[in-house]
Amino acid sequence: MEFNAKMYDMPQEKAWCPGCGNFQLHSILREVLAELSIPPQELVFVSGIGQAAKLPQYTRGHMFNGLHGRSLPAAMAINAANPSLKVIVASGDGCTYGEGGNHFLAQMQRNPDIVNIVHNNMVYGLTKGQASPTSSKGMRTRVQVDGVTNEPFNPLAVAIAMGATFVARVFPGNKAQTKEVLKQAIQHKGYALVDCFVQCVAMNKVNTFQWYKEHTYELEASHDPTDRQMAFQRALESEQYPTGVFYSVEGRPVFWEECAAYRHNPEPLFRRSVDMEKLQDVLDSKA
Amino acid sequence: MKKFVKGNEAVMIGALYAGCDAYFGYPITPASEIAHAAADMLPQMGKVFLQAECETGSINMMYGAASAGKRCMSASSGPGMSLMQEGLSYLAGAQLPAVVVDVQRTGPGLGNIGPEQGDYDQAVKAGGHGNYKCIVLAPASVQEMCDLTIRAFELAFKYRNPAIVLADAVLGQMMESLELPEGQLQVPDTKDWCVRGDAETRQNLIASIYLQIDLQEEHNWMLQRKYESMAADTQAQSYLTEDADIIITAYGSCACIALSAVDELRKEGVKAGLFRSITLFPFPKEELAQAAAGKKVLVAELSNGQYRDDVLLHLPCEGRGQVELINRMGGNLIRMEAIKEKAREMMGVKA
Repeated sequence: MEFNAKMYDMPQEKAWCPGCGNFQLHSILREVLAELSIPPQELVFVSGIGQAAKLPQYTRGHMFNGLHGRSLPAAMAINAANPSLKVIVASGDGCTYGEGGNHFLAQMQRNPDIVNIVHNNMVYGLTKGQASPTSSKGMRTRVQVDGVTNEPFNPLAVAIAMGATFVARVFPGNKAQTKEVLKQAIQHKGYALVDCFVQCVAMNKVNTFQWYKEHTYELEASHDPTDRQMAFQRALESEQYPTGVFYSVEGRPVFWEECAAYRHNPEPLFRRSVDMEKLQDVLDSKA
Repeated sequence: MKKFVKGNEAVMIGALYAGCDAYFGYPITPASEIAHAAADMLPQMGKVFLQAECETGSINMMYGAASAGKRCMSASSGPGMSLMQEGLSYLAGAQLPAVVVDVQRTGPGLGNIGPEQGDYDQAVKAGGHGNYKCIVLAPASVQEMCDLTIRAFELAFKYRNPAIVLADAVLGQMMESLELPEGQLQVPDTKDWCVRGDAETRQNLIASIYLQIDLQEEHNWMLQRKYESMAADTQAQSYLTEDADIIITAYGSCACIALSAVDELRKEGVKAGLFRSITLFPFPKEELAQAAAGKKVLVAELSNGQYRDDVLLHLPCEGRGQVELINRMGGNLIRMEAIKEKAREMMGVKA
């Protein structure tokens, strides 16, 4: 089978604005999938609601487009039900860090074998320009009329603190690095967070493509991604934002491996039906 | 004085005249313009606007603000309204006044952002857990988006109960001329029940928990008596119903189309009238019975018969056999022509 980026594209028109950062990220992701030779039928794209959450509809593979903020519990369950599938979550900063903030924390504790790509454009795009959890302090919007007063959410520092097993940031304007990081994230066993700086051309006039370009730089080759304390320190940088793999640790068991259901039976959950004899045994044991 | 505004903006203008102290909300289409107006105007008035992290956050911020006796509100739609139901149950249980505006979109699930009236049961029958009711008001114009928001605050404080303004995407997004209200709404003093952390309110306790089952039951009976007493505040519009042979009944934006159908049918010689519910809870039972007595009834709604079921429930037994339904869903409106056709069919007349 010949793999190429085109085979992961869906034919329909994409309802993103011309110049939206989602296009670059989508195109890089498709190239990465081709280079890793993952057949579309082995992929599941999962999302919540928002502009980024449209990505599964535009990408060939299985798809679960669920509730706003609730992509991660669904992704975890898909991974547990059929561990042979590669689960890629794609949603925005509002969906993942705002409405879904609690799920974001819970998944890092569970360590499901999923990739969590967050299109971080630092604004609510679909609902037309309200501040998101990652909006910069002082940014004026139609509802933060005097400027944002919240401290911006720092997803990388939170993820490193919570013990996420793979934590990275990319800017798709840096294509070579984005590709490399996404590859590593997809190949990582366990929960992989990839926070992606994407520009919203319509609703965020502060964090433009140019702004991201000027405010990002690559983590040095000398950065040791197994050094958690250093990773945390680098995640706190806020004038210039490093990109690359901040933290990565292999070998921690993933969620489905820890599930009691798999302890004595490797059969994936989705293949199992009710074993009436077993049910009788369970009920008898309660008598 | 008049202003040409969107329905969603009119809500916030009404809220300001009602003395709204705080708005807590999370963005969602087609309700976001209410938050935009709140963010623009409330801080200028020295009041609070806060964008919450989610709708569960919004309603719980309201739980706090309402406990302090403040006039607070939120607005949302579809999935966001569903998320607020748990909090509404607590507010009702704790007898707290608060206003939530539901700019209905389609469902179930994600649906789309077109107009529908499918949240009727959720609002009117109470979408959360337990034996409670929310006051529900249904505007049918930009003017009423403003006026009924004021009324919602008034009733919420009169009964110490959450009130929902049940609008829809058409009402939220359309622009009309708005006659600005006169004078500020006066609401009863809250010091007898609110908790402000001062000497005056020190004896007060806000709670929805009664661990002794008999006390919980007593609390429930008290709430039911309160809901029954709300019948004093029903509101409805009867238009050309007195000599009518057929009553078309509807609420919200759907009633505007029904009203035009009534006028057109009259021109054709069909004696039609309109009965529009303005309060959905308390339901205008007496008014409906009077308007519909001995007449055929056509219910028009943008949902699966939820309003029709309430019409049937509240009509005297003898009137129930003459009720028919015309409805659309999914974001479609009912064409006036379709209402006319259905009415003619029921009356056995040809166009």
